[in-house]
Amino acid sequence: MGDDILSYNGGVALAMKGKECVAIACDKRYGVQNRTIATNFTKIFQYSDHCFVAFCGLATDVQTVSERLKFRTNLYELREQRKLKPVVLYNMLTNLLYERRFGPYFVFALVVGLDPKTGETYVYDSDNIGAVSDNVNLATVGTASEYIFGLGELFFKPNMNSDELFEATSQALLNGVDRDSASGWGAVVYVIEKDKVTVRELKGRQD
Amino acid sequence: MDVLNPMTYDAEEDQLRDRTKYSQMDKHIIPVEFQQQPVSTGTTIVAVEYDGGVIIGADTRTSAGTFVMNRFTDKLTPLTDQIFCLRSGSAADTQAIAQVVTYQLDFLSAEMNEPPLVRIAANCVRRMIYQYRDDFLAGMIVAGWDKKLGGQVYSCPLGGLLVRQPVTLGGSGSTYIWGYLDNNYRPNMTKDECYDFVLKGITLAITRDGSSGGCARIAIINKDGVERIDVLGNDLPKVFDL
Repeated sequence: MGDDILSYNGGVALAMKGKECVAIACDKRYGVQNRTIATNFTKIFQYSDHCFVAFCGLATDVQTVSERLKFRTNLYELREQRKLKPVVLYNMLTNLLYERRFGPYFVFALVVGLDPKTGETYVYDSDNIGAVSDNVNLATVGTASEYIFGLGELFFKPNMNSDELFEATSQALLNGVDRDSASGWGAVVYVIEKDKVTVRELKGRQD
Repeated sequence: MDVLNPMTYDAEEDQLRDRTKYSQMDKHIIPVEFQQQPVSTGTTIVAVEYDGGVIIGADTRTSAGTFVMNRFTDKLTPLTDQIFCLRSGSAADTQAIAQVVTYQLDFLSAEMNEPPLVRIAANCVRRMIYQYRDDFLAGMIVAGWDKKLGGQVYSCPLGGLLVRQPVTLGGSGSTYIWGYLDNNYRPNMTKDECYDFVLKGITLAITRDGSSGGCARIAIINKDGVERIDVLGNDLPKVFDL
């Protein structure tokens, strides 16, 4: 696997937009270079009713950054007495990551969210020092991100309903990780709609 | 050429070596995504003798770093009609070795007017690996059937060793199944027991090793010839779900 720090643990995540729904999916592998140690390491964390973030990269930083972000969002909710919005969440994440600009965390992040009143969807893609993209239709991070991007562009259609969105996201993820030896071993897909969040666990190739 | 020994030092060769060395700066200038990792059959290969022949098996993944170049590789390469080699290590090196040895054995069988012995095939492979031991990264298993000694498995690992073993493993995935072998292999197993052993071993290694994956390719070599079986992903035996 070489000495590339971002592929030391492996892992991948994908986010896609639909009509008043967003999906975010990740694989479940936890490994150390070649060796797979566990297949229950999900990389998606919830920060509010309709705000989710996926972190991919070095596993220790995945855990640390998700916990540090949770600390900041908890304080925000206590002070402001209201739940987070996706735009606020990605701004907090940018800030957290840029604080370590010259000794960065080795995680790339995806922020997804939905406004339950207006149905507006948000998908943002962040690098490891806090550069955030615009609100995009499709974003992927991780060791298999290039392969999943290709499939995602193929399966994406504008204004998909939640079932079509789930199918497109799962197929893009499951088939993309087949070309990467550092990710896979199962997947988890969250489909976020105005009134509910559906979590589905997928069993893919266990290789 | 030993630089410190004045009797063997050749100034021209030394200069040439310097000029043809890759620039160390390339490592810093070229971004890591574009630095090509060598293609390797980071792999799991298994071979076992039974009474009457051998059963050999391998996974089907070829990777370059983390990228899976081929999901359905054939690592069971025939050297002659009834002698196969299992390749692990650098894909280029092992393919080159297999090609050269196939030619050598073809020539030899024309000279001797009979199929070559498995030991001879293994020795040809071993000779190449030993001769280029500082350059090659090739761990190979040579297995087959011949009239004289029946089914035989020979292991030719990295440095250029040759040893006959009743059962042997190779490749990066083998580290995960040595324990399985020690626990489950018994001498004088029947053909079906050996087949199950090989298939289960490959499946276990595929599950744990990142460089092994895909399906399992198995070949049964005996006096009647070679029977090839491809076990696709869904048909692999069920193992503990991690």
